[in-house]
Amino acid sequence: MKVKEFMTTNIESIDHKRSVYYGIERMVNRRIRSLLIRFPGKEIEYGVITARDVVFKVLAKGIDPKNIIVSKIASKPIVAIDQNMDFKEVAKIMEESNIARAFVCDQDRIIGLVALMDVMSATIIAKARGEYVS
Amino acid sequence: MFLEKVFSRGKKEKEVIGDITKQIKLLCTACGFFKTALETDNLSLMRQVMDIERAGDSIRRDIISRIYEGAFLPYLRPDLCKFVEIVDNIFDLLEDTGYRYLDLKLPEQLRGECIQVAFLNRRICEMLLITFESMLKGEDLREKILAIRIYEKKIDDIKLDLIRDARKIEITNFWEGEILSQFLSCLTSISDVIEDASDHLQVIHVSMK
Amino acid sequence: MWKVISGIFLGWSLGANDSANIFGTGITTGIVKYQTAILLTAIFVLIGSIIEGSKCMRIVSDLSRLVSIEAFLCALAAAITMTILTYFAIPASTSQAIIGAVIGAGILSGSADFSKLIKIVACWILTPIGGMIFGYLLYHGLKFIFDKTIPSLTYRNTIYSVGIIVAGCYGAYSLGANNVANVTGIYVGSGLLSCQMAAFIGGLSIASGTLTYGKKVIITVGKGIVPLDPFTALVTVLAEALTLHLFTQIGVPVSSSQAVVGAVVGVGIVGGLRTVNPKMLVKIAVGWLMTPFAAGLMTIVFIYFTS
Repeated sequence: MKVKEFMTTNIESIDHKRSVYYGIERMVNRRIRSLLIRFPGKEIEYGVITARDVVFKVLAKGIDPKNIIVSKIASKPIVAIDQNMDFKEVAKIMEESNIARAFVCDQDRIIGLVALMDVMSATIIAKARGEYVS
Repeated sequence: MFLEKVFSRGKKEKEVIGDITKQIKLLCTACGFFKTALETDNLSLMRQVMDIERAGDSIRRDIISRIYEGAFLPYLRPDLCKFVEIVDNIFDLLEDTGYRYLDLKLPEQLRGECIQVAFLNRRICEMLLITFESMLKGEDLREKILAIRIYEKKIDDIKLDLIRDARKIEITNFWEGEILSQFLSCLTSISDVIEDASDHLQVIHVSMK
Repeated sequence: MWKVISGIFLGWSLGANDSANIFGTGITTGIVKYQTAILLTAIFVLIGSIIEGSKCMRIVSDLSRLVSIEAFLCALAAAITMTILTYFAIPASTSQAIIGAVIGAGILSGSADFSKLIKIVACWILTPIGGMIFGYLLYHGLKFIFDKTIPSLTYRNTIYSVGIIVAGCYGAYSLGANNVANVTGIYVGSGLLSCQMAAFIGGLSIASGTLTYGKKVIITVGKGIVPLDPFTALVTVLAEALTLHLFTQIGVPVSSSQAVVGAVVGVGIVGGLRTVNPKMLVKIAVGWLMTPFAAGLMTIVFIYFTS
């Protein structure tokens, strides 16, 4: 089953200069665990911050989230996979890079996000469909 | 007399099952048409969805009368009929959604998400067919029902996003807004009813064990 | 020859009462029609009586030395006892009534053979237990076999429909084979009828009871046994039939109602003990004690006042 069948298409992105606090607001409000960070440049570069980054690198260290911008804790570059990749390969990549989510691309455009839960769900669906050909 | 039953070797039952399979396959087709119609804004294709609903209705009537003419144990009959009725409700819902679509001008910013839901609706119908066939074979249905639940949850998530995005749209006329709201509501309820149907298959499965 | 009438009356009431045990569940779950069920029961009861009915007659006739008038009065007392108890909705067993009556007569004439009685009473107690064991074993055994061999819905459907009918026929056969001795066995002992004649007449009387009065009892009783699904219904009837058939081979007439209750309990235990109604058990125990005593007492009274 291809990634594009099971990704989330709703991705939140914020500018790299925004405060971590702003990032927290967006994540809590939308109940999502990661944000795409836009970096300027001739070609847009992307980074990502996750709930882990926020809690471990900022809150746990006692840093005031309003006083730090997201670019300081963002991970670059992001892991992006092609929309036609099979789920089993996605799982492998996630394991190798030790990440809980990956962005899905259609050539150069980011079109979605796939997380661990999505990979698990896809497994159930693929198994249930069995030899069924659509 | 019962001797007929023994010698007919389940012919009536096979016919009923064939018809129910046809009904569900028709549903998948209808969902497929719906999605394509949505993608290409093809109104005449959308109208064909209504025609399919009528065909589905007539199959339902055939199935129910055949069941009560003597197919299956009386113990099973009410559950089977209930299932067929639920599938028919899905057709009705699909038809309602189609009607609303014909009546409105879908805002383009919502089209992508709507197409996604339509695509998932098709998938979830296919899964219902798989579940039905599994039930006939007497297999364990847990996995398939879980798959349906996963699809339904996915659609629910998109529904939240749809509503949020729809709110951003400026509505100048109450009825425009009302029809859009009904369209979205019907579109996202289809999967709920399908989930209902799959739960019912589990009931039938368990009652014959 | 007229003395056989009380036996026929007894047989008729047995047919009317006990046939509900066989097809009752099949009818209330809509699998078999009344007419079909009653007809099948009548036919197979007769067949059972003729083929294996004589096996249990020995013990009835050996219990006491009876003369023909005593046989008549025994059967009469038994029949009346049954009617009264049925009227009060206390489950009554024909086997116990007739045995009680025969012992009563035996006590009066001094020819009662109590050693045989012990064997009989042991079998009475074992009947519901046998029903339970068969019910439990069949439930699990058949479930296992069916799951392995016929998982498909349509095949299961056919098996259940056909199975309940076949089980019912077997149940009727077992009833005839086992219980006809209750009805006309005493006449063999007192020399009024030959074994074959007794079996034939007894079988006919039971069948007639089924055909004429069976429907009414099936409506009331059949609904009380509550098997929840076709499989349980099948197992219950099969267990009852096997129990009765087993005791036929042992040579003791037992109660089909108690076998059914045992079967339902045995199956009910599978699903937890909620299906067992303690009030029902009390009623059964009461019936157990009261029936033979009442019949015996009545017989003693009859014989005393007619001699």
